[in-house]
Amino acid sequence: MLAFGAALTVGAAGGCGLLDRTPDEPPPPDPLLPLADDAVRLAALHRSAAAELPERAAALTAIAEAHDAHAKELSRIMATPAPSPAASGSVAASTPTAEERIESLRVAEKAAYEAAVQACLRTPNHRAALVGSIAAARATHLEALK
Amino acid sequence: MTGELTAALSAEYAAIFAYGPIGVHLTGAEQSAARAAEAAHRTLRDALVLALTGSGLPPAAAAYRLPEPVVDRAAALRVAISVEEKTAAVWRAALSATVDTQRRQALEALTGCAVRATRWRRFAKIDPITVAFPGKAPA
Repeated sequence: MLAFGAALTVGAAGGCGLLDRTPDEPPPPDPLLPLADDAVRLAALHRSAAAELPERAAALTAIAEAHDAHAKELSRIMATPAPSPAASGSVAASTPTAEERIESLRVAEKAAYEAAVQACLRTPNHRAALVGSIAAARATHLEALK
Repeated sequence: MTGELTAALSAEYAAIFAYGPIGVHLTGAEQSAARAAEAAHRTLRDALVLALTGSGLPPAAAAYRLPEPVVDRAAALRVAISVEEKTAAVWRAALSATVDTQRRQALEALTGCAVRATRWRRFAKIDPITVAFPGKAPA
């Protein structure tokens, strides 16, 4: 709020457009930042599920590690620090069954897959292979969670 | 852009060829999966032929070298995984050379290859059944 107010004052005094950025204003966030945040959040969700579902722990841990790798690669091309590890989610009012837990992971993966598809279609050419590969990986996670 | 799509067409020809001997050694759900995979690759081939008409289409070869002889079920599953991984790599490369509709098609193709490779790893009881970056060569 303060930053926007300062920009308004400087812009008006200098005869610039109201939405012009000042030199002190931070650059806009990288468009891939939400993708990296999704990866960190999904890694935490799968790790939490792996701890509660030992019979599926190997597969869920592999998916969590894939999301870790996605977050690391996205952070590298964005030249920003990797997003902080996410909390594993709110405490449910009642303990979900294994099926409910897997279904909630599928819902989260599907939303993240769709976001990655849109990001791939909008991203510049030099980022498209990485972002597309992440979208495809999320689709395979849906398959693995069947 | 044409170079990447031409490479994709050659990869699709090779995938269609490979699923012939693969399907012979499979039964039941695995054979159905092989038929569905071959059909998916034929659809991709047809779309590429349309997209590349007038750009010098590479002809389909009479035969393609398989990564290993397909002599039994285990070999069939290994070759199926290899085919999907190699085809995924070609489509991944096409993403950087395409925009708009063609990029969407390349992404759908990459995703299809990646999901089929995952299914084949499940049939082959390979653990884990997923890879972090479909279409990317292992480091």
